[in-house]
Amino acid sequence: MYRLWFGVFENELKLAADFKNGFVSAVNKDLIPFNIAEIGTKVLGKDYYRILRRVAIEVAEKKVREEISSDERSLVALVKALDSVEEIINVLKKKKEDLIDDAISERFDEAIEQIKKLRGEIEKEIDAFMAKVAPNLCEVAGAKLGAKLIEKFGSLKKLAFASSNKIQIVGAEKSLYRAIARMKRGKEAKMPKHGIIFLHGFVRNLPKKKRGKMARFLASKISIAAKIDYFRGELEEELAESVRKRYEELRREK
Amino acid sequence: MRNVRIINGIPATKSKYGSHYGEKIIEIGGERYREWIPWRSKLSALILKGYEIEFRGDEKVLYLGASSGTTLSHLADIIDEGVIYAVEYSAKPFIKLLKLARERENVIPLLCDASKPWLYSGIVEKVDFIYQDVAQRNQVDILKANADFFLRNDGSFLLMVKAKSIDSTAEPKEVFDKVIERISKDFLILETGTLEPYHKDHIFILGAKI
Repeated sequence: MYRLWFGVFENELKLAADFKNGFVSAVNKDLIPFNIAEIGTKVLGKDYYRILRRVAIEVAEKKVREEISSDERSLVALVKALDSVEEIINVLKKKKEDLIDDAISERFDEAIEQIKKLRGEIEKEIDAFMAKVAPNLCEVAGAKLGAKLIEKFGSLKKLAFASSNKIQIVGAEKSLYRAIARMKRGKEAKMPKHGIIFLHGFVRNLPKKKRGKMARFLASKISIAAKIDYFRGELEEELAESVRKRYEELRREK
Repeated sequence: MRNVRIINGIPATKSKYGSHYGEKIIEIGGERYREWIPWRSKLSALILKGYEIEFRGDEKVLYLGASSGTTLSHLADIIDEGVIYAVEYSAKPFIKLLKLARERENVIPLLCDASKPWLYSGIVEKVDFIYQDVAQRNQVDILKANADFFLRNDGSFLLMVKAKSIDSTAEPKEVFDKVIERISKDFLILETGTLEPYHKDHIFILGAKI
């Protein structure tokens, strides 16, 4: 039996009542040994392509609208799940250290291993969603950090409209407000250089003195990436390249 | 190439349609052409570098990784009497692709994952040509799976390979060699070449079924 978009073929063709339903369920594990268009033209006549195109457009229009909102929601949910799972791993590790009984301690190890596996799976899912939802952000910031930023701001739209200095220090609000409060009192204060973008290898792996520069540059590129992803959604290859170049520059700089 | 003309050193396709992505419209001798900037499209770069792919104009084509339809719009100008099945996985650029599909009678849009051809196996017919530009790690597998399902025995394909998307740390040359070796196991390679200076670390592979 072969499922075609206009019907089901089994010795003879049974025309579908609704082509749109046929279109979304035209799934076949095996190769189809005949040419779909030939059979279709026999049944639908010279209008075959006109009908196919109309159905394809109608199905896609509906799917596009659904996917854009649901993909982002899934992504945010995944990031929240990842945070919780990481927290659980940390708690379990800590509690394990207090234990004296070896047998129970071993059970803890097993449990931690399993949850780590789960963490790996969640990360993979995040990778896949990020490549789809925000390809530029994914390239520039990495899937995990990019997803965390979207979660932090609430949506890709909000991230796209945020200023780059907000992106630079998001996640370090506490020390930011502490510094501002100190400055208001006329005291010396240390402004935070980075928030969660510290997770990015290019920031973290530089010596302390250079991290601020890298964080500022990275934040500005992340801001551009989010804007392209929100408005256009196409991959811009030079963007991630420019971040890598800046990192190399800073690393060599004395 | 059919319906393609180099105007002032830049390819352009003969078209009765308006601008799709902001490209210039040029009129020469009462005919309208849409400018096709090689930096925006790998196929344009390939043409400008002097490579030829012959089209009759009534081919059936499967286009994997159509994105927002920049290259697709020009291919639709070239294959003006054929049919192009345009597959794209990402919803955001698809909005723009849909705009093109509503305008062009020879474009059939499919919002599907190109690495799962069975999901659209009951929609796409046997095709003469596969154009693939997907920038994914498993692009060779994607080509193979789609060719198994849809490519005619006398059909050919054009694959755009981006080294960075297969392995971002390895030398591009090594990545390309590996890809070519894997492709030549299942296909006949007709021609390969780089797309420098228009697209860095990219090559194209033109091939056919063995």
